[in-house]
Amino acid sequence: MDWLEFFRGPMFQIALLVFILGMVYRFLRIVLMGWKKDYSPPRGSAAAGVVKTYVKGLGFLPFLPPKFPGTRHRPLTYIAGGMFHLGLFVVIFLSTPHMEAWRSVLGFGWPTLPTPFIDGFAAMSMIGMIILLSNRIVSPVGRMLTGLGEWLNWIVVFLPLLSGWVLYHHLFGMPYQTIFAIHMFTVDWLLIWIPFSRISHFMTYFITRTMHGAKFGRLGVEP
Amino acid sequence: MSATEIIDQQALNFFVKNVGAEVASQLEACTRCGLCADACHFYISTGNPEYTPIWKVELLRRAYEQNYTILGKLKTAIGLDKRIDTEDIAHWAVLDFQACTVCKRCSFVCPMGIDIAGLIGKVRAGLTAAHATPPKLMAMTKNQLEKGSPDGSDEAKWAAWFKWGEEQLGKSLPMDVKGADSLVVFTMLELNSFRNNLVHIARIMNAAGEKWTLSLRARDAFNMGTVIGDGAVQKKLAERIVKVAHELGVKRIIVTECGHGYVTLRQAAHNLFGETLPFDVVHITELMGDFVRQGRLKLRKGYFDNEHRITYHDACKIQRIGGNFDSPREILNLIAPSSFVEMNLNREQSFCCGGGGGVRAIPEAYDLRMEAFSLKAAQMREVDATDVVMSCSNCRLQFKEGFEHFRIQGEVKGLVEMVAEAMIE
Ligand code: HEM
Ligand code: SF4
Ligand code: SF4
Repeated sequence: MDWLEFFRGPMFQIALLVFILGMVYRFLRIVLMGWKKDYSPPRGSAAAGVVKTYVKGLGFLPFLPPKFPGTRHRPLTYIAGGMFHLGLFVVIFLSTPHMEAWRSVLGFGWPTLPTPFIDGFAAMSMIGMIILLSNRIVSPVGRMLTGLGEWLNWIVVFLPLLSGWVLYHHLFGMPYQTIFAIHMFTVDWLLIWIPFSRISHFMTYFITRTMHGAKFGRLGVEP
Repeated sequence: MSATEIIDQQALNFFVKNVGAEVASQLEACTRCGLCADACHFYISTGNPEYTPIWKVELLRRAYEQNYTILGKLKTAIGLDKRIDTEDIAHWAVLDFQACTVCKRCSFVCPMGIDIAGLIGKVRAGLTAAHATPPKLMAMTKNQLEKGSPDGSDEAKWAAWFKWGEEQLGKSLPMDVKGADSLVVFTMLELNSFRNNLVHIARIMNAAGEKWTLSLRARDAFNMGTVIGDGAVQKKLAERIVKVAHELGVKRIIVTECGHGYVTLRQAAHNLFGETLPFDVVHITELMGDFVRQGRLKLRKGYFDNEHRITYHDACKIQRIGGNFDSPREILNLIAPSSFVEMNLNREQSFCCGGGGGVRAIPEAYDLRMEAFSLKAAQMREVDATDVVMSCSNCRLQFKEGFEHFRIQGEVKGLVEMVAEAMIE
């Protein structure tokens, strides 16, 4: 077995297992800590609040400025965050090779976008990430909030994007097999890293958003 | 362990004990993007990165990670993170008590939906458990527990105020009336600074034909337990009012011009007693709105229309998290339809006045709260407003001091007094 086969085969399966078990563990650990019952009488509907907050929060509105007009609100962080996440989702779910990978795990597939589009989204995603990182380095608030964990997260997410890009464009004249192996290695590593890091926010997001909508909906306030 | 180490440990234990799913999920969801900074009037007005809302929660995050997560334990073991010490506690006591009014503006801005202000409340509680709360707030707490009001006003002083009110009105005030519909609760800020509110509100109640009552045993809606984050104190103080409401069998408690007193009774009280209390808690703004909508209160249309431009200040606890946005606007559109202008940031987006959450009481926080107020003053300037009206005594005092500090000409009004003036009796 060569490196590529190893990173695509057993290592990928191990990584996937770590990812799934890790995320289930994180989820259960949080949920099982217990919720307090709220006895105060509701002034509005919690359910309606939840729906509203998702309509506002998903659809990439969280990334569009200005949610609160008049605040300085870093439009760049919003736009770059939107570029990065949108690009990432498109690449992960709508590119043919990734859909094939999903098919091999899930057993079913779906239509994909033509490769040049994917190329564009991948580029957008990486540019977004570079802007976000620059902001972390340049702005005093960004610097203060950025620790080792944030740096590692950035690198671990950026490398699969970059290696995929290099792979697709056959850059640097490296043998295809080698770059593919590197790409698969970075993907495996990303999967393993997620449950141990804040990248798990893609899961906690749904807990906190739901709580937010329910809380403010109940208070009778627009969430 | 030394004495200080014991105290640090107390804070830590408190944090760790108080982590539930709600806190844990929010701490874990934060992506450290820093967007919340631009929601906070303290950060915006000073540019100090340490005033970033989520940074004020840093102690809680560290305590959580060091005790609950593998990586956090590892980081502490190899020295990448250190245990919370006395210095940290003193530092965050300044950030969380002097540079945060718990206005919840940040909680609406976070893209992950994290209720940052809620977490700050928990940090305040931990700091109080570590005896790091500003001395002035502790003195006020002691006063309220012993004498009834945070400024030390006792029953005799309140009784004298009520008596004065009766003289002004020329008739008696309803005291401890069993079976009344509404129990009206004032605060010491009105007793000291807005004495006329008593007369105004009595007139409004009478004009609307409301069956209402006062009680000297349930006199001050202020709740220092809420301010410092001490659940036991909070419960004790809320109980004074809740007990009387039970005894008199009222349908609702009316909180006058007090924001935190209102949310404490409306939300926290039920949870403190572990049951849904059998009466509503209504803010005076909402009640006046209801009276007008029901036709029980007649206001002179356009009474306040003149060359002044009046704007409305949304208070954090009454509007942003209380939801009472429409009543004041309906009233102002009646009594000052052409003079009334909205600020550009209004309703849930409104900036805090800078004086809430106990900040106005802390002498060391004066300069900072004036910085924060400058944003509010700018909001008024943007729409050429001369006067400003609101329904919270604490905001009113902050505005008055802010106007003086920045030498702003203009009037700071209470919605209650405007309604009382424009009312047809
Ligand atoms: C439901 C799915 C997700 C939501 C709602 C979400 C939301 C967010 C938000 C609000 C931020 C902070 C704002 C910003 O900097 O743009 C953020 C940052 C980030 N997200 Fe996500 N995210 C999701 C999924 C993912 C996934 C699947 C990954 C990677 C595999 C990821 C990686 C990151 C990284 C690395 C950052 C930090 C970027 C930086 O500022 O350096 N996210 N996310
Ligand atoms: S806005 Fe929300 S996610 Fe971003 S740093 Fe602040 S608390 Fe964290
Ligand atoms: S609650 Fe208000 S004052 Fe406190 S951090 Fe948030 S925005 Fe700033």
